[in-house]
Amino acid sequence: MLTRLANGTIIDPAHGVNAVQRDIFIEDGRIVRAPAAMRKIDREYDLSGNIVMAGALDIHTHIGGGKVNIARVLLPEDHEQDPVAPSAGRRGGSGRAVPSTFVTGYRYAEMGYTACFEPAMLPANTRQAHLEMADIPIVDAGAYVLMGNDDFLLQLMSDGAPQALITDYVAWTMRATQALAVKVVNPGGINAFKFNQRKLDLDERHAVYDVTPRSILRALCTAVHDLGIPHPLHVHGCNLGVPGNDATTLDTITAADGLRMHLTHLQFHAYGKEGDRKFSSGAARIAERINAAQNISLDVGQIMFGRTVTASGDTMLQFRGAKHAHPKKTVTMDIECDAGCGVVPFNYRSRNFVNALQWCVGLELFLLINDPWRIFLTTDHPNGAPFTCYPHLIRLLMDREYRLEMLSGLHPAARQHSILASLTREYSLYEIAILTRAAPARSLGLGDRGHLGVGAAADVVVYRKRRNMEEMFSSPRLVFKDGKPVVQDGRIIDTPAGTVHRVAPEFDPAIARRLQRYFDRYHTVRLGNFRLGDDELLSYGRAGLSTHSCLPV
Amino acid sequence: MKPLILTLRRNDHGRIDVSPLTPDKLHGMNRDAVAAIRLQCGRRRVRVDTLFEITGRGARRVEIRRSTDQLFRIGFRMRSGTLEVRGHAGDNLGERMEGGEIRVRGDAGEWVGASMGGGLIDVSGCVGHRIGAALPGQLTGMKDGLILIAGDAGDRAGERMRAGTIVVLGNSGPWLAHRMAAGTIIVMGRSGAHAGIGMKRGTILMGRKPLLPPVGFRAAGTLKMEFLRLLFKQLGGTRTSMAMFRGFGPEAIRLAGDLTAGGKGEILILLNARAGAAT
Repeated sequence: MLTRLANGTIIDPAHGVNAVQRDIFIEDGRIVRAPAAMRKIDREYDLSGNIVMAGALDIHTHIGGGKVNIARVLLPEDHEQDPVAPSAGRRGGSGRAVPSTFVTGYRYAEMGYTACFEPAMLPANTRQAHLEMADIPIVDAGAYVLMGNDDFLLQLMSDGAPQALITDYVAWTMRATQALAVKVVNPGGINAFKFNQRKLDLDERHAVYDVTPRSILRALCTAVHDLGIPHPLHVHGCNLGVPGNDATTLDTITAADGLRMHLTHLQFHAYGKEGDRKFSSGAARIAERINAAQNISLDVGQIMFGRTVTASGDTMLQFRGAKHAHPKKTVTMDIECDAGCGVVPFNYRSRNFVNALQWCVGLELFLLINDPWRIFLTTDHPNGAPFTCYPHLIRLLMDREYRLEMLSGLHPAARQHSILASLTREYSLYEIAILTRAAPARSLGLGDRGHLGVGAAADVVVYRKRRNMEEMFSSPRLVFKDGKPVVQDGRIIDTPAGTVHRVAPEFDPAIARRLQRYFDRYHTVRLGNFRLGDDELLSYGRAGLSTHSCLPV
Repeated sequence: MKPLILTLRRNDHGRIDVSPLTPDKLHGMNRDAVAAIRLQCGRRRVRVDTLFEITGRGARRVEIRRSTDQLFRIGFRMRSGTLEVRGHAGDNLGERMEGGEIRVRGDAGEWVGASMGGGLIDVSGCVGHRIGAALPGQLTGMKDGLILIAGDAGDRAGERMRAGTIVVLGNSGPWLAHRMAAGTIIVMGRSGAHAGIGMKRGTILMGRKPLLPPVGFRAAGTLKMEFLRLLFKQLGGTRTSMAMFRGFGPEAIRLAGDLTAGGKGEILILLNARAGAAT
């Protein structure tokens, strides 16, 4: 079937196309060249005056894996207060901060998102994570496997194993868990927490293993680089949320030593400790450094005011944060000794100095980092805010007046501690398209997503032009997923299954012998059962498996 | 003003969600408008006049006659007026009710007055589990109001209750006032095991000693408490069925607990209540 999207205003930064009126042709789920004149067009949409972009990608959103379910169980009231009734063709669900799987898919699609990536899949939770993501309709998914706190790796490093061995282990884990990238959370810190260390700075030694966070970052960065994984190491650094962690972040950038590194939810890692309240914004210093360091990319993890829940593998952090829980209940647990899990419900309040300044820090990062290709739009769903806040966030970035209006409602001291009022930058639609489409797709190595070139998957979003960007981005006129219309005028009309994205790095299979011994001795699962095969993954109900190429050095 | 009378026809529709039929919602509607309301019956939505014979027009007083336990959510979110049920009532009677009065001349199902915020529910028969409890997903149960049960109550009466009063003249099942935050529960008959477990604050008044001593509670002496006289005087005036409360005195054995949850709650075992207690 040949579909023509006629007369739309195309914004496609991957090809440098900015607001050009052009037709797009879709056939068999792909964008194709303009066909010969005599070919019959089966379906035509007149998009005059509408803006056409590729489907948006969320590079960091917690939508699967153990912690999300734990958060759901912990917060029945989140579900009780936000029920979604089933309707023709779509299933019911509930939840605002941590919606149920179906609702997650619908809400993403309704905003024009067509791919979401779970950034913290513990190897032990692989099946849970993939099964859960397979239950999310419409959107594509992929997961980053969590490493850097597992005893096998720390033991290897402690024993002074050669980098090649560590690299093989990373590759083996990625294959076994069907991952798209590697993430490290509080390198070594989650493990150290189990040995009663309550903080672990970048150069602090682990109590048992002879490692420091810096050496772990270095080893994993090198492994990801050597394997040629498209997405750089996804780093949730040390000292999240601790005032003065801006210095740690700057040191972490140094620790990358020129290798590519992705700093995730950087907003939580950009706090200074100046001023009489011992809490200030470190955004300016960090932005200056990142502007100069071409090897670093980041996503912001903006917070929004209101109730949400923080779910993280960082047990050390969540143990510290448990006293701020609202409502007063938390889960802090270990998961199969792979890493940890902490779930703390949270209420960000605009009249609270710290929360208000966090809000400012996130926006300062957005506005001070010049290269939109290296910064991605996230709220670290659900940790900063539920992903449904994205249209509001886009409006804050694109509309200075609105931003100042919001700023005026904040805690007065936070306003004084922030330079946000003096920042005049307003994002253009073109830049928003980079932030939410072209740049994340490029960073993840998804060659056929995030752009509208010939051969790309036909994930297309059509927006009506509006003055109010929040309205525009919250209800697109049309959303196509792999060529099928899935949303029309803000309503779901079809719910096809998405694809799983992964990489398949090569490695020396000799590593399996070592792992066999480790598994036999320590693990609860046998090595053969631990691995998630392609057939099993496809049996979860995905439309397909999309393997992206690695370019090993 | 004449009441609106809804008489249930022979019901072969299964369970009927009658939540739209509360006096405050029906008030001012003419007969046709009431007849045209559709009620959820399983997967179907059925008109009121198919299910009920209608006499009169929407009024502040509504009577449901020949009611059975198939009618659930009677008085859902009701704010004002009087709803009288002749016959049995199904589950979720007075769920999230805010005000007004519901009287049932028969038994009622589970979740009576669940998460209610005000008003009065008076049941002449027995009721099921979890009266005045928190609905699934909610953190607090009954927040205000009065529930009077002349018969027995099931398990977990007043679970997670926040405020308000529950009176059970008969017996109650186990886990009475489980995780109660505050409020008052009076059980004149026997109460089951684990009464008051996890209760933070609030008062349970018992007409008879529980069969098993409540776990987590500690005897705190026999006290004369003047507030009991006032409480019973007020309760005695609410209904003829409660008239027996009038003579009750201020003496009670006090058990403090649950000590694992702070111990600010109490179980009071009334000393001179036996004569008036229902069996």
